[in-house]
Amino acid sequence: MKKNVVFFVFLLLLCQGYAFAQSARVTGKVTGPDNQGLPGVNVQVNGTTTGTSTDVDGNFALNAASTSSLVFSNIGYVSQTVPVNGRSVINVQLAEDQKTLNEVVVVGYGTQRKTDVTGALTAISTKEFAQQPVTRLDQVLQGRAAGVQVTQTNGAPGGDARIRIRGANSVLGNNNPLYIVDGYVGADFNFVNPSDIETIQVLKDAASTSIYGSRGANGVVIITTKKGARGLKVNYEGQFSISENIKRYDVLPAGEFAEIVNARATATGSGLPFTADQIAQYKQNGGTDWQSLVFRQGTGQQHQVTVSGGGEKTTYLISGNYLDQNGIVNNSGFRRYILRTNINTQVNDKLSFRLNLWGTQSKNHNTLDGGAIVQALAWAPTTPAYGSDGMPTFTDPIGSVYRNPLDYLYDQSIDTKRASLNVNGGLNYKLPIKGLTLDLQYAVNYLNSQNLNFTGKRLSNGVPSATRYSTDQVTLQNTNNLNYDVKIGNHSINAVAVLETQQYTEQNFTATASGLRFPQLGYDNIGGNAAASVASAFNKWTLLSLLGRVNYSYKDKYLVTAAVRRDGSSKFSSANRYSVFPSVALGWRLSEEEFIKNLNVFSNLKLRGSWGMTGSQAINPYATLSTYGTTFSAFNNSAATAGVILGNPGNVNLKWETTKQTDVGLEMEFLNGRIRIEADYFKKNTTDLLLNVAIPAYAGGGTQTRNVGEVENKGIELSIGGTPIDKGGFRWETNLNVSTLQNQVVSLGGLPRLGTGTGVGGGMSTTNEFMLMPGQPLGSYWGLKYLGTWKPNEADEAARYGRVPGDPHYQDLNGDNSITTDDFQIIGRAFPKATGGWNNTFTYKGLTLNVFFNGVFGVDKLNYTRAAALSGSGDARQFILTEIRDYYRQGNETSDIPAFTRTYQPFTQSSRFLENGSFVRLKNISLSYNVPTGFIKNKANLRVFASATNLFTITQYKGPDPESARVGSNTDTAIGIDYGSYPNSKTYTLGVNLGF
Amino acid sequence: MKKLLLIGLVAMLGASCKSYLEEDTTGLLYGPNVLSTQEGLESALTGAYRGLGAQWTYGFLHPSANAATLGSDDVTTHPASNKADWREFDQFNVSTTNQRSGAVYNGCYKAIQGANNVINNYQKTTGTKATIDIIAGEAYFIRGFSYYWLTRFYGSIPLVMAGEYSDSLLTIKKSTPAQVYDLIVADLKKAETMLPNTRREPGRPNAGSAKAFLADVYLTMAGWPLKQTDKYDLAAAKAKEVIDNRATYGFALMPTFAEVFANDPAVASIPESVFQISGFTGGSGTANATYGNTTMPGEEGGWDDMFAELFFFRDFPEGPRKSATFRTEFGLGTTKIPWQNSLTRHPYYQKWYIKGNIVTSSISLPSVMMRYPHVLTIYAEAKARGTGGPDQAAYDALNAVRLRGRATGTKALTPADGLTATQFADEVVQERAWEFACERTRWFDLIRLERVEAANAAKSPDDLQPIKAITKANYWFPLPYSDTSINPGLN
Repeated sequence: MKKNVVFFVFLLLLCQGYAFAQSARVTGKVTGPDNQGLPGVNVQVNGTTTGTSTDVDGNFALNAASTSSLVFSNIGYVSQTVPVNGRSVINVQLAEDQKTLNEVVVVGYGTQRKTDVTGALTAISTKEFAQQPVTRLDQVLQGRAAGVQVTQTNGAPGGDARIRIRGANSVLGNNNPLYIVDGYVGADFNFVNPSDIETIQVLKDAASTSIYGSRGANGVVIITTKKGARGLKVNYEGQFSISENIKRYDVLPAGEFAEIVNARATATGSGLPFTADQIAQYKQNGGTDWQSLVFRQGTGQQHQVTVSGGGEKTTYLISGNYLDQNGIVNNSGFRRYILRTNINTQVNDKLSFRLNLWGTQSKNHNTLDGGAIVQALAWAPTTPAYGSDGMPTFTDPIGSVYRNPLDYLYDQSIDTKRASLNVNGGLNYKLPIKGLTLDLQYAVNYLNSQNLNFTGKRLSNGVPSATRYSTDQVTLQNTNNLNYDVKIGNHSINAVAVLETQQYTEQNFTATASGLRFPQLGYDNIGGNAAASVASAFNKWTLLSLLGRVNYSYKDKYLVTAAVRRDGSSKFSSANRYSVFPSVALGWRLSEEEFIKNLNVFSNLKLRGSWGMTGSQAINPYATLSTYGTTFSAFNNSAATAGVILGNPGNVNLKWETTKQTDVGLEMEFLNGRIRIEADYFKKNTTDLLLNVAIPAYAGGGTQTRNVGEVENKGIELSIGGTPIDKGGFRWETNLNVSTLQNQVVSLGGLPRLGTGTGVGGGMSTTNEFMLMPGQPLGSYWGLKYLGTWKPNEADEAARYGRVPGDPHYQDLNGDNSITTDDFQIIGRAFPKATGGWNNTFTYKGLTLNVFFNGVFGVDKLNYTRAAALSGSGDARQFILTEIRDYYRQGNETSDIPAFTRTYQPFTQSSRFLENGSFVRLKNISLSYNVPTGFIKNKANLRVFASATNLFTITQYKGPDPESARVGSNTDTAIGIDYGSYPNSKTYTLGVNLGF
Repeated sequence: MKKLLLIGLVAMLGASCKSYLEEDTTGLLYGPNVLSTQEGLESALTGAYRGLGAQWTYGFLHPSANAATLGSDDVTTHPASNKADWREFDQFNVSTTNQRSGAVYNGCYKAIQGANNVINNYQKTTGTKATIDIIAGEAYFIRGFSYYWLTRFYGSIPLVMAGEYSDSLLTIKKSTPAQVYDLIVADLKKAETMLPNTRREPGRPNAGSAKAFLADVYLTMAGWPLKQTDKYDLAAAKAKEVIDNRATYGFALMPTFAEVFANDPAVASIPESVFQISGFTGGSGTANATYGNTTMPGEEGGWDDMFAELFFFRDFPEGPRKSATFRTEFGLGTTKIPWQNSLTRHPYYQKWYIKGNIVTSSISLPSVMMRYPHVLTIYAEAKARGTGGPDQAAYDALNAVRLRGRATGTKALTPADGLTATQFADEVVQERAWEFACERTRWFDLIRLERVEAANAAKSPDDLQPIKAITKANYWFPLPYSDTSINPGLN
């Protein structure tokens, strides 16, 4: 009763002209199969517009004639019609709808009944991740949708994730999907709070994505956020976690390390760095375990409060989220705040307004790769961590040539602070023509992003310096949408026409100061300095789009969709400015045919096919122009002079990159939805491929963007879901998805091959690690094939190369008795052949167990971290991994770890350090318990849960984590290199969820 | 009413003007106007210098050029450690992806691109003509200097005169050394007339710098591969011009050798600096890494990148130059380890220690690309190998260098010692080896005189040996794979 009082107070407060009618009052409670109250159920007096919805506990109250009937409906449940029969209390239990037939799915610029959908799209139910400690959208997507591949490339909190839908089309452009949040096109997924998600759809084929035209080629993720419902509802969720390394490298203990260093010195004719006494002491006292100085146990917490409510006409929702995570690398962390509010008001039958406000702030602190992680495997275990002055040891006489890992941790801050505000409002008006609706939406997205770097005195060779880079980005969007929905007899038509504009403006500036007088102030006060420089830039692009789509269905059986979008972009010169992206899709609901119905096997059977075009304007503004950049030269010992230097040559002929995609899909449901199978085959061809073609150094170097070549992606996606067990209160829901991907460069516009590199391997790689070649996939590793060591019986052959037995033996492809770049070949693939996920939820009464695996198969990784620590390359002068114990020497000639010789020439860019990166990982296991309602006096809902992520990983990969890599998410040509990547961690989380 | 409002709104939005898609180039620096002002031209010149000095990226502010000249007999590297790419030079097995020679290659071409842009546009620039001429003169110098390094490293190379990129550059062929030298000579001749006698700043050339390099170019042209022996006379004449006018150009031989390598970052330039690329730690990529860490032993926190060859050190004549050139005891504290007991068992080069023995790889010191005694020895050698043999001035020039370096009491060489012209010239070459040890000079002397094989055959067996027998093919490095893979016509 107390609840109802609150409820009524709210109604009064909102003052939305709630009026009591004359008919009799009916109250009641709607429950679900678990006897818990169901909020938000629509209760309507049959045949009238009178209706209400249930409150947070499932209670409802309305006035209805005693002879009328009430219709109870809710998405995901079987609707019921209950005659009032003069009763004043009606309690109803709704059954879950096993069939997904009536689900409405969000598609671009509108919604559709799932049954009418002709394209390939995957909806992820919020139920699938409700039991898991997900903090970001990529964790929601990972492993849960066929055809979507998510790689957490940087395991740091707030670290980078690579999300790909049906592979990568573009070499140059980023292949990130397009994110739509509540109609705003191009949202940042990092700022989406999973708890705010109401629905999430992944659009994959061209029939679904061509409506996004020039930005649809990489697939589209459409998110709608939760809206308020009638009745006050408050929910709190708290999570606490600890995390630790999944695995660390095995390194030699100090004594043994010293022995091996001495052995190498002896073999190559140098003095012995260590005396027998020193070695004995190291054996007794041990040395420095650099990894344990770099890594730690991380902690994290997340708090989330959601308040929602409203009255008959106006509803609201406010949600706040705070996330604070300390990473497993010392002095690294991530903090994020998200506040989201929305308000919706129905002015009358025809007109409604809506407003979404979405503000975020985040800060990454030292969440980068390399640095300390690389040095931890380069610094000798024999070198003490700290000197007699209590400061970290400045130089390592034996191991690394560079700085102490501790200085990387504590003598620098590399931070990113981002603040954004998204304001998105609109109105929806039902026009006088039946079925015609006008929807107008305006959005402003503001982002301020600051890169703040500080390097202290120790790390900077005595010249402490700081750089602040700040960019302000404003995006304005206007969407004008006319929607027509009509059903005449057996013909249903839904048509959409949209005019949309988007304008992006970026203004940035950089200030760099060196020789800081007050380094203790870090990057926050850089005015006191010995030298400073500033720079600024302005960037702008605009996009003007017209689009339309028609869905037609006959008898709900034969479905046709046709869509077209015309985009104009300021990035191209006027001749190439506009492009048209059409698509067409057909669907046949076989299950509506008598001959299938008669089989009595399928509860749904649909065959669909689509073809369409999408585009990419994957270039920066001004790529058609040759511009100068700023640079510096010194002409004395006390100042640097600013000058200008020619940048990459522009290309006036640039045009759109176009992707044509064909898709065939089959959807099957058996046993009234208890088993669901969906299979898709797709083929995508991207032509006029935009490539950064390298320019020879003699012509100025750098790259030029050109439209050359073609890339093909094809694959199969299979998703099997169902409820194998649902008996006696025990329920097992499972969903398995597997997708394969075959990626191939079809042509490079006449070029025989084109190298793409990373630059990450400072001192490790000698040339581009990746080669694009027709017939080969994107991300093909380029290097020497390692054949092991030269064996004693091959001494003569080795001598022809100037080598001796024990030296590395590489395949001499052209047989010229010397190992050169002419002997480089494709040695592996960075793109996995297949990925999959298997999600299981077991419920029994209030207990829910979630077990979620994901896997990646058929992929190679180039492990530079291991290479540096095992080959004397980069900054590392010695070999530190325990693997080196097996080095080639007399009596151990079978070893393929090279001997210590003077003729030793290692190539890290070889198959020797290419490893199988396939893995299967228990991504999440969590157990949650719904504390019985009666347990708590005020009838709140209480749920507690415990979970573990990345608990175990099955892999042959020798590094700590097969998932993390060194290259960011914006490129697909140079993925898979691990060089001090920030590894993913094993995380244990405890959480509580309280609602009332 | 409402309807009207809505329709009005849509109409307003629909009337999107064409200008909505026009590119907004506010804040963009592009097009020919950039170089039309004197300020713009000066900025482009500054950008051209960047190619010669971008720490760890390209040019000469990090020990890449030192690594690439390791095939000479004065300097070697660590037999193990992380020095595989250094050993490629010392063992005559240079790969097409070597990042050390690659940094010189890329840097010189970046400087050439910038210089071309200035040279091709300065006549259209408005401003003070005298200043514009100096800017152009510096650009000619930079281009000549860069091509000189390139052709000595690579022999036949692409000869690019365009500042702006065009597709036709992708298929150009290599030019022969003779063609490249023609341009170098032409450029330096332009530079010597357009440059002022006084440098605008320590890190820029003056007319004397251009003449000194022209003399060096002539000396090289007279040897392998062109063997245009008539160039010895030109080299001698040009060097003599510099020597005679040294006061005008501000060049002088410093009284003691130790002063030359005091390496005090507070000093912007020494009198012996004929041309230098200045370093400054406060700028972005402008600090110098050719001092400090690179030539220090591991015992002192150094990187062991390069150190002295054993027989070179053994045969080095005693004197103040020897003690200032080598570091024979290691240890920054009180404990000293003699080089014989050190980890690498080699003496190191004291020359590149920073004043106060600071352990760093970033310092505000210049990379001096030619010292004045270099000019003296050019004259002495060129005169000896040219018409008429060595004159008294040639003896004077050699003796100035020789006596400063050698032990007190060393006698000056005189014609009375009875050396033939060739013997005298060889004496100069040997003196250059001692004087410019580990200064990227010996390698080029060995090449032009075709003595690489002999010098390497005479190395200590305890030093790194060539992987295979040295041939003339080893005199030049293969062109970088990064360019030959784009333009296979270069192979």
